[in-house]
Amino acid sequence: MIELQDICRSFVVGDETVHALDHVTLDIAKGEYISIMGASGSGKSTLLNMLGLLDEPNSGSYQFQGKELTTLSEEKRAAFRRENIGFIFQSFHLIPRLTAAGNLELPLMLMGMSPAERRKRSTKVLADLGLSDRAHHLPKQLSGGQQQRVAIARAMILKPPMLLADEPTGNLDTHSGTEVVKILEALNVSGITLVVVTHDVALGRRAHRRIRMLDGKIVQDESSRSNESAT
Amino acid sequence: MRTADYAMLAFSSLRFSRLRTYLTALGIAVGIAAVVLLTALGGGAQDYMLGQFTQFGAHIIAVNPGKTTTMGVSGAVISNIRPLSLEDAEGLRRIPNVRSSVPVVQGNSPVEHGNRTRWTFVIGVNHEVPQTWKINVAQGRFLPNEKLEQARNLAVIGYKIKQELFPGRNPLGEFIRIGQERFRVIGVMESKGQVLGFDMDDIVYIPVYRAMSLYNRESLMEVDLLYAAGRDEKQIVERIKKYLIERHGGEDFTITSQTDILGTLGSILTILTAVVAGLGSISLLVGGVGIFTIMSIAVNERIKEIGLLRALGASKRQITLLFLFEAAVLSGLGGVAGMLTGLSIAWLMHFFIPALPVSVSWDYVLLAEIIAIATGMVAGLLPARKAASMAPVEALRSE
Amino acid sequence: MRASDNLQFSGRALTAYPMRTGLILLAMSIGVASVIILTTLGEGARQYVVGQFQMLGSHLLFVLPGRTETTGGLPPLLGTSPRDLTIDDALALKRSRSVQYVSPNVTGAAPVSYGAREREVMVFGTNNELFDAVELKILKGQFLPEADPRDAVSISVLGETLAKELFGKKHPVGEWIRVGDHRFRVIGVLSSEGQSIGMDMKDVVIIPVASAQSLFNIPSLYRIIVKARSKEALDQAEKDVIKIIRARHDGDDDVTILRQDALLKTFDGILKTLTWAVAGVAAISLIVAGILIMNVMLVSVSQRKAEIGLLKALGAPTRQVMTLFLSEALMLSLAGGLIGLALGLFSAKMVTFWIADFPVQTPMWAIGAALLVTVVTGLVFGSIPARQAAKLNPVIALSGK
Repeated sequence: MIELQDICRSFVVGDETVHALDHVTLDIAKGEYISIMGASGSGKSTLLNMLGLLDEPNSGSYQFQGKELTTLSEEKRAAFRRENIGFIFQSFHLIPRLTAAGNLELPLMLMGMSPAERRKRSTKVLADLGLSDRAHHLPKQLSGGQQQRVAIARAMILKPPMLLADEPTGNLDTHSGTEVVKILEALNVSGITLVVVTHDVALGRRAHRRIRMLDGKIVQDESSRSNESAT
Repeated sequence: MRTADYAMLAFSSLRFSRLRTYLTALGIAVGIAAVVLLTALGGGAQDYMLGQFTQFGAHIIAVNPGKTTTMGVSGAVISNIRPLSLEDAEGLRRIPNVRSSVPVVQGNSPVEHGNRTRWTFVIGVNHEVPQTWKINVAQGRFLPNEKLEQARNLAVIGYKIKQELFPGRNPLGEFIRIGQERFRVIGVMESKGQVLGFDMDDIVYIPVYRAMSLYNRESLMEVDLLYAAGRDEKQIVERIKKYLIERHGGEDFTITSQTDILGTLGSILTILTAVVAGLGSISLLVGGVGIFTIMSIAVNERIKEIGLLRALGASKRQITLLFLFEAAVLSGLGGVAGMLTGLSIAWLMHFFIPALPVSVSWDYVLLAEIIAIATGMVAGLLPARKAASMAPVEALRSE
Repeated sequence: MRASDNLQFSGRALTAYPMRTGLILLAMSIGVASVIILTTLGEGARQYVVGQFQMLGSHLLFVLPGRTETTGGLPPLLGTSPRDLTIDDALALKRSRSVQYVSPNVTGAAPVSYGAREREVMVFGTNNELFDAVELKILKGQFLPEADPRDAVSISVLGETLAKELFGKKHPVGEWIRVGDHRFRVIGVLSSEGQSIGMDMKDVVIIPVASAQSLFNIPSLYRIIVKARSKEALDQAEKDVIKIIRARHDGDDDVTILRQDALLKTFDGILKTLTWAVAGVAAISLIVAGILIMNVMLVSVSQRKAEIGLLKALGAPTRQVMTLFLSEALMLSLAGGLIGLALGLFSAKMVTFWIADFPVQTPMWAIGAALLVTVVTGLVFGSIPARQAAKLNPVIALSGK
């Protein structure tokens, strides 16, 4: 589904150039469950941003289902993100002024969907997540786990083929973390490509394909077809 | 994205930082209230002045002796060698569409009755004053239609003269002394109060021929012509000019139509109101700077949120519009609040000081509202553009 | 904490957000500058008008025939009255010790011609004393010579505009002009320099008062201009004029006396009020700027909660935190005020540059008031955020929530 070819991305920090991605080549097939691990500054977040079209490479090519994306304008990339990629963030990134339902409906709103249709969809999704009674709560009235579940629901409401999660459990206690991971993995089972960036070794191990990064390079890429650990 | 959704999002963020919203809107509101109130006072002054000038009716053309080029009283009104005569006044009456012609001579004399004396204005006129000047007799009748040279010594007195000379008595049929002559009072005018600083009640009207002999004058100070409503004023003015030039052999007179005066006066007062509105909008400008500041702060505070929206696929245009909407709602709210405040203060002023003319200039109210919202949008545009052009990664990462 | 440290601390907080600080300064300076500019213009207009009146000599009396008893109404400017003012009345006024100059006037309009050129102008019948009474200046030739005002002499003095219109580049003195049906010899031309409002002598012809009476065929005067010996003598002169006229008019008070200083006072008052009003309207914008200061300070208090918490944790007393924020507000408003003041004074100078003879003097009271209002604005609108900062709970503040 995704082919990254020789992707380079460097930043200038002070008077030093940091190569966050150094000739990275990576293929991702549809339905894969991938974890990206590595120390801070290894380039794993940059890789995720690259996959999510939030960042542009200095060189290299990015093809999504055979279509070259590096030449797209920022506006086209935004539209592409909306339709094809769901994001999960460590700090949830819910808008504090909007209710759970309001946050959930944001992507639909950006599309211009009618309020009635939006309401119908969000009600269903919230029910699926067991958050029906929290629909009209503001983020600060929700627990961390609940907030992250709303964020996942928001990422999935337009049914994108790929979900990118950046430390999805980083701000959660163990119990909520496990719950969130279960939801993500269930989504993967239903056919969605899932890419998780994490520090958490236990979480990283659960993925079927594990990528390790160091200094902007992929230093390890191992797959295990076995699905036992995902119970 | 739907307009209602923009509005919803804008309102939600304005509600979220309520105090800040109120204070920003208050800034705009003060400016708008100032503009509304000041233009209401300006409009009131305008109405008042125009009302004063149209007291005598709108279809009057005045002819004065002498050619005046500059403003003010021409020396020719006081004395001149090419007089405006009674015959001129009579002749002007025959011009088509001229309904009446009042010759005027004005003087200043003590008027006596019994042992009471009052210094007052004495105006020599003819019987056509009530219809021409739109002033009516309250008691008795006005001067009769008599051949000018044979006019009898009759007088019609103003309301104040009646009070001063005939307190509690009926003046009709009584005699008053003006200069060395006796006049019989045949009417009392209705009270009109001051018009343009001239007390209309402190006047004695006598036949013009009598006034000319009383003041030893051979010419008139003014001729007032009433023309039929709806007729072409320009054409009538041209005819008057032609007629008088024929009689006098040159243009030694000045024609002033009510429309001229109203036009000049109107434009002066309009400028005045505009200046006053301009003064008020200094505050509006400062309010605009306020919106700009607050919107800049809002953008700075919400960089992360902007990043999220970008990640969710919002276009630059959508982000810009979102912040513009917020700025517009902010200034619009302030505008409405300011308008209501300004209107209420204007109304209260009018209520407590009825003498103070207040007239709300809706043009300016509307203009001020539009300017307020436009100010808000312009002030919001730069921060909004800044928000939209932020790189999504940077925005998400910012603290 | 030392005052200098306080200033430095607050100053740094302001320079940390240059955009925000700049905008507040802009808002404040717009307000102050407009107050300064408008009061300067108002004061300029007032001084101009007062100057014009004073040029006319401030101890003049105008005696008009007739009287009205309506107070607040118009004086009988067109006064024709059964008992006229005469040249003899005017001469009688000379008896008063308080009176210096007496100038009987007859005014009217008449066509004045020289050769083929004709012009309808004001005709001013008077005597030689007008020259000193209203301080005229002569450009060429001489003014009316001292003579018995009862003699009609065929001499004339022209206003500068009239002389130019009739004679062009030709020398008018000695030439004969026609005024109405009479002929007059030109003996002088007035200078239009130093002439003032209310007494426009540019487009007039001045002839002896008796000549004017015969020209217009009237026995009476339009008015008498009287100049008192001094400002102090003005009251006495007015009393004397009333007494003399009354004695001559069989005990009747049948004249109206207008005093120049009364007129001046009225104009002065109107223009002062106007200046205040205009400055007041502009000052509304200072309130708006004050609201902005408060708003931004509130934002800054909530953004700097952690910093405030730290200060408190380090042992800063409530008062000190308050002083810090208050001095921040004060610095903002005062700096804005000073920038506005400079901007206003500069604009006022520009006005002088454009309109050379418009007196531009920014009144000290306006500068003082503007700065005072600025400081008060800073204190009033800064005190609420300062208090809010001061009463923050250090624990909560430190957590930044």
